[in-house]
Amino acid sequence: MNQGDALPTLADKPVIERVATRPVEETYRSPAEWVRKNLFPSPFNSFLTVAFGLFVLLTVRGLLNFVFSEERGWDAVRTNLRLIFTHAYPEEQYVRVWVCVGVMVALAGLSLGLFAARGDGVPLRKISNALVAAAVAVAVGVVLREPSVLIGADGEVVRTDDAVVRQSFADAMSDRWGWWLTAAVLAVIALGLRRVPALGDGSLRTIQAFNLAAIALALPVLSAWIYPWGHYAFAEGEFIAEPGRTVAISTKLPWTVMWVLAVASLLVGRWVRSRIGEQSLSRLRIAVNLVWLAVPFVLYWVVLRDPDLDWARITQVDVPLALAFGVAGGIVLWWLTSDGIGELGRIAALALLGLAAFNWLAAFMGWYPMLQKVRISFLLLAVVALLAHNFSGETQKRRRLLAAWLAIMAVFHYFATIMNTPSTVETPTEALIGGFAVTLVVAVFTLMLSFPLGVLLALARTSRLPIFRVMATSYIEVVRGVPLITILIFFVVILPLFLPANMEISLFASATLGYTLFSAAYLAENVRGGLQSIRRGQYEASDAVGLSTSLRTTFVILPQALRASIPPLVGQVIATFKETSLLAIIGVFDILRMANSVIPAQTQFLGIKREGLLFVSLVYWVFAYTLSKWSQRLERRLGVGER
Amino acid sequence: MWGSDSDSRDAKQGRDGKGKHDVSISDATVAVSDELAARDDMIVCREVDKWFGDFQALSGISATIKEQEIVVVLGPSGSGKSTWIRCINRLEVHQSGQIIVDGIELSNDLRNIEKIRSEVGMVFQQFNLFPHLTVMDNITLAPIWVRRKSRSEAEEQALALLERVGIPEQAQKFPGQLSGGQQQRVAIARALAMEPRVMLFDEPTSALDPEMIKEVLDVMEELARTGMTMMVVTHEMGFAREVADRIIFMEDGEIVEVGTPEHFFTEPEEERTKLFLSQVL
Repeated sequence: MNQGDALPTLADKPVIERVATRPVEETYRSPAEWVRKNLFPSPFNSFLTVAFGLFVLLTVRGLLNFVFSEERGWDAVRTNLRLIFTHAYPEEQYVRVWVCVGVMVALAGLSLGLFAARGDGVPLRKISNALVAAAVAVAVGVVLREPSVLIGADGEVVRTDDAVVRQSFADAMSDRWGWWLTAAVLAVIALGLRRVPALGDGSLRTIQAFNLAAIALALPVLSAWIYPWGHYAFAEGEFIAEPGRTVAISTKLPWTVMWVLAVASLLVGRWVRSRIGEQSLSRLRIAVNLVWLAVPFVLYWVVLRDPDLDWARITQVDVPLALAFGVAGGIVLWWLTSDGIGELGRIAALALLGLAAFNWLAAFMGWYPMLQKVRISFLLLAVVALLAHNFSGETQKRRRLLAAWLAIMAVFHYFATIMNTPSTVETPTEALIGGFAVTLVVAVFTLMLSFPLGVLLALARTSRLPIFRVMATSYIEVVRGVPLITILIFFVVILPLFLPANMEISLFASATLGYTLFSAAYLAENVRGGLQSIRRGQYEASDAVGLSTSLRTTFVILPQALRASIPPLVGQVIATFKETSLLAIIGVFDILRMANSVIPAQTQFLGIKREGLLFVSLVYWVFAYTLSKWSQRLERRLGVGER
Repeated sequence: MWGSDSDSRDAKQGRDGKGKHDVSISDATVAVSDELAARDDMIVCREVDKWFGDFQALSGISATIKEQEIVVVLGPSGSGKSTWIRCINRLEVHQSGQIIVDGIELSNDLRNIEKIRSEVGMVFQQFNLFPHLTVMDNITLAPIWVRRKSRSEAEEQALALLERVGIPEQAQKFPGQLSGGQQQRVAIARALAMEPRVMLFDEPTSALDPEMIKEVLDVMEELARTGMTMMVVTHEMGFAREVADRIIFMEDGEIVEVGTPEHFFTEPEEERTKLFLSQVL
């Protein structure tokens, strides 16, 4: 309390700052030390470790025995991989599937290279510890698994009195020399990494996370060229199973290309980033995000379907229509943004909206025929017209709005034309793709459509206007009260009855619609949570600087609300992804149906179901886990919780 | 309607030496009978009442604030100071009486509210900066989208304002990275970016650590010197004494006493004012 105490504190200040600038280096303990400190710190904790360790070991043992048993028919999965991932997509067109994967890989690499922050790198010591753990796990697994059953000369399991005959333990251990070798190699690499000397200043040597990932992905790709994984396929009704040779060129070549693409695009992204300034980078970010939005449409409707374009119709109908809307709409928007139009502009925009709504009413009543895309164009024009007053005044802003309108028309009419053109790719089934591809397609389109819808519903539910509030609330409550599978069946069975006579809707489209409406209701509730977390002061400050309701929502409220609701939103994304497995029930050949009914019905693999289901679970888990990890990254980057 | 108490209030104001008010009291009274308010009346409140449910927060508030005048509103907490100042740009809705800002009457007409809000800048106790935007974007958001300025023009102006409030080097930071005093100065810059004719300050220093209060008061003083019309709700007696042209003392939703700082701090007339001053000074 006295003066003398206070003075040294001030003198200490530089010391405090030095400590604060760099956190204390994390120390990496040896595995033995780690085990002692974390697993056996006290008798009771040691007991818990042993008890639950035993439980885990028994579970793992059961799993290993199941997976590696000689009785398992993994050939059912191996030969049917193509079926599981894309169903009946024709083999001679398969390059299209690889183009799709390649585009996604390249875009992902580019985005990472451009925007991902370079972390501190992974310390070699940490990798070494992980490798030691892996080596121990492999060794434990080898010992844990019960000895293999004996296979007789006829290829059947040898049995005596209904019990299978197993190898002796010693034989089993020596038979598994490959696994022992793997464990040994892992251990040797781990020890080798330990001997890499520390850097000059004593800090740990690290490796960039991206380089590590590139090396880790290179290993399986490289092994496909060297190691005899065997060649398994199901082509033209024939099952091919040739163990002892390397993977077919049609598999290892594309994956090698994918690896090269990933690394190359990452490097290109980094190179571009090192060349441009912060401002161009943020502009580029918007451009790349737009490309991400367009990619699913292009890949599905253009690359996978390869539309059979009817050039005569395109030049006579489609292009003139797009041009007409672009020019006429442009003139209307130019007029709407002119100075001093005031109230007249709003009335005109509302009139346009009325016209657009009337077109839809007329469609359902069958009053006058009109191309669907004309109706949608009217609707788009009305929406843009309603927003136009934000762009009035300065010529530059008006030009920008005009450019945006022309771009919207070009993109929309392009896709509308493509979607209405039949595909040239012929498959034996009704659907173009199946298996995991359909899971991805339905999930991606559902999310892309339900996100804006969900945000709109959330805004409507928190709106001051009772009509919006009541509509949104009743919609959300109705949808949340009905099981998803009921909604899906409803849409597949009943929706076609409600459509006008000349309209058809595919199973895919109606299922996606069902998913979208369902998912939107849940997303809306998540976004509403975010909206409610925004303090009143934000609304007041926006009002005080004169922002209108739409500007306030766009620039102040929604960005914060969406950021605050990232965790539940990603939870919903993962849920939607997993719920696509319900497609199997309404008759779509998705990945679950492949494993559950298609493969077990093949003559060679009659009744073999468990292997496929295990594999399908693994595929789902890998994707869901990746999404969850990605969301954690996103949360950290956007600083949720530390606002 | 233009009651005698308002006249007497006008008589109490008009500190000599500043020469801001060249219209005499009688002129103002004449002008009001024709228009909504006299030409140099920036804010006119007449018999404003406001209830929160059964609780009457404001009762019969009548006051006039002239152009370029600095008015400080004092009073114990819960006396309705903040409610009143928030009514002036419609963050709260008054139930009866008239509020006229720069000749525009506040009513339910959305266009009038928009017009008034773009003329009135407001600074809040809790700063209320937009946490997801940089300082620069906080300041330029409204000029770009409401005033329809080009980005480069708005950024130039924002830098000039940041220079004025003394923190040009913080333009690219986020509000969370600034101290409270710096945040409040950004908030002042944000309000000024709309080029308002009146600035309302709702307890601008109450949420600040003591060592940061001065930097904000300095900015406000500088603003006062440039001739901005200001209405300030505060507990900073020093500021009230030094900068204010007039002090309005409120209690229980009513205006108790109005006068120059000199009058107010040395010879208050009302018992309630004396009691308040004896507690805070």
